[in-house]
Amino acid sequence: MQLCITASLLFPLSLFPFCIPSAPLYLLFIHSDSFFLPHLLYCLPFTVCFCVLYALFPCYYFPQMSTKDKLISHVMKEEPVGSRSKVTVVGVGMVGMASAVSVLLKDLCDELALVDVMEDKLKGEAMDLQHGSLFLKTHKIVADKDYSVTANSKVVVVTAGARQQEGESRLNLVQRNVNIFKFIIPNIVKYSPNCILLVVSNPVDILTYVAWKLSGFPRHRVIGSGTNLDSARFRHIMGEKLHLHPSSCHGWIIGEHGDSSVPVWSGVNVAGVSLQGLNPQMGAEGDSENWKAVHKQVVDGAYEVIKLKGYTSWAIGMSVADLVESIMKNLHKVHPVSTLVQGMHGVKDEVFLSVPCVLGNSGLTDVIHMTLKPDEEKQLVNSAETLWGVQKELTL
Amino acid sequence: MLITWWYLYLAARSFVEQSLKMASILQKLITPLFSGPPEPPRNKVTVVGVGQVGMACAVSILLRELADELALVDVMEDKLKGEMMDLQHGSLFLKTPKIVADKDYSVTANSRIVVVTAGVRQQEGESRLNLVQRNVNIFKHIVPQIVRYSPDCIIIVVSNPVDVLTYVTWKLSGLPKHRVIGSGTNLDSARFRFLMADKLGIHPSSFNGWILGEHGDTSVPVWSGTNVAGVNLQLLNPNIGTDCDDENWKETHKMVVDSAYEVIKLKGYTNWAIGLSVADLTESLIKNMNRIHPVSAMVKGMYGISDEVYLSLPCVLNSRGVASVVNMTLTDDEVAQLQASANTLWDIQKDLQDV
Repeated sequence: MQLCITASLLFPLSLFPFCIPSAPLYLLFIHSDSFFLPHLLYCLPFTVCFCVLYALFPCYYFPQMSTKDKLISHVMKEEPVGSRSKVTVVGVGMVGMASAVSVLLKDLCDELALVDVMEDKLKGEAMDLQHGSLFLKTHKIVADKDYSVTANSKVVVVTAGARQQEGESRLNLVQRNVNIFKFIIPNIVKYSPNCILLVVSNPVDILTYVAWKLSGFPRHRVIGSGTNLDSARFRHIMGEKLHLHPSSCHGWIIGEHGDSSVPVWSGVNVAGVSLQGLNPQMGAEGDSENWKAVHKQVVDGAYEVIKLKGYTSWAIGMSVADLVESIMKNLHKVHPVSTLVQGMHGVKDEVFLSVPCVLGNSGLTDVIHMTLKPDEEKQLVNSAETLWGVQKELTL
Repeated sequence: MLITWWYLYLAARSFVEQSLKMASILQKLITPLFSGPPEPPRNKVTVVGVGQVGMACAVSILLRELADELALVDVMEDKLKGEMMDLQHGSLFLKTPKIVADKDYSVTANSRIVVVTAGVRQQEGESRLNLVQRNVNIFKHIVPQIVRYSPDCIIIVVSNPVDVLTYVTWKLSGLPKHRVIGSGTNLDSARFRFLMADKLGIHPSSFNGWILGEHGDTSVPVWSGTNVAGVNLQLLNPNIGTDCDDENWKETHKMVVDSAYEVIKLKGYTNWAIGLSVADLTESLIKNMNRIHPVSAMVKGMYGISDEVYLSLPCVLNSRGVASVVNMTLTDDEVAQLQASANTLWDIQKDLQDV
């Protein structure tokens, strides 16, 4: 019994050294019968001390429930499930932000991540988008220079890189953008090893090849935005000529996204009626309706917009959202996008060119085999050779 | 001279041939059932100003599929044409079949809604009120032209300082006061709801809170109205929004006021949030929804305000414009703040020239 008392003396003493003066009192009376008074004297400082502390710091000793806790009771014991349909956009320039906004306004993802090297611009763009959250259905918008924010993305849209200046061709940008990709792609793969890469930066066919090599992904998970935009432009101009909505005008532009893209005239149709059947000269030099000029307008379209407003953004952004929609919603829709065409249409080299492909949530699962005329196939082979000529000089 | 006539003849001949043969693919493909003048648009929206805010508004409206025709107007012709072309190239992905643009306001004819974003914008650190006179001069050119071509439209003013400029637009246009709206504190309320909801871990649309008054540094957060699922936050925490609040909820309102400045400092301008907010207002107006938004409306006679000023109050919006205003129960302090804002705005407005 006396041992317990002694022990119980020592513990509080260590906490409240200022109670030491009253401790000797215990020792004086420890063998006496009147134990009550020294006990009281011993306990008094503790009591006084605690009362003072409770009065001075009530919010520490009696934690008040916060407004949030009074309002909301958390009932889930497990860890919250992370996002299931996350989209990352790499690069917050004009194209990147147009893609981000198009994806947000089409309600395609439950989390959006933005990455760039310019920290202030990145943070500003993320804040601006977050301030619009009330009007969106994407609850989480995150942004950081560090790629860890991109973890577990389903689709990663790569728009980073140098862009064409006025009058500059897309091929000039190659080596500059390859160096940027050498930093970006491994980081993406590290945090989202199962994602689908959608490459937008120009020259898109070469950079899709570069992204494929650097990522080590199977070919169905590396897609280039390719001629999806060229075809959209073509269908818009065709719609204007025929006074129809572009979605009712069908026409495919394949091959290189650039100056040597190939319009497949034999496939151009409205409601299944082949226009080349109505006008056999279509697309040729002697065509009085000059449909070839439509293709030229498509090729020149980008240069013209760049000359007028400095860059193109909205059309490519909407085109990216269209592709992301097919992937996220597993639509199995056919789009002209850039994929590995080695072994098709006489192409021998390991190059990426745009052909009509089926897109779903696994990525690019199938390729439609178009029946091309000999000169159209020749154009594809020529494009492939030009691209290979540039690709083999690259240091990866 | 003979050669000139010969070339002219050749040009005329090929032109005639082309137009005759051009008709042939169209004629072979399509049989018209009805020929007549094209139908005028029913839901045309015009955006004046193709800067960052104007384009964000335009894209938000396009992607929300609210208009059947979009017109863009600005003074910078190249930029304007470039933006129009860029949007048109995306028309395959949109449900707005006609996108037009010109310096001349005749392209805006028969608009239902005109969004005015033109004007100079705040620089880093600059207050909205500094921009007034510069923007008034720009509006003197814009507003009469808008009204000339779309006399039945509803004008949404976005340019800053929005409350003063909405007043200016109302005066210059001669439109009835229910058809001139300022985007007002719709954006401030959206930011407030986002920040508060973020702290509570819920979606902004599940948090109800209103910021009224001037869109700017002296906006008034109505703490007595803040609630989630009908549970009033001020009843849970009577100190909410005051200086003696332990949880410092007042900080959230301060963040709302500062957020525009912060985003401008980081990226140079704000556009996405205001664009989405304008599309939200446009949706209520075009679809005749009778939804309530905190927008800038003429408040003379309410809350003891005797001057003709525009301040944000909860307004019911439908296809006529501002159908009615909700009478919020405000504390005396909040009413005093509104009156103070009204006085500040009237001080600025009475000095404006030629309005």
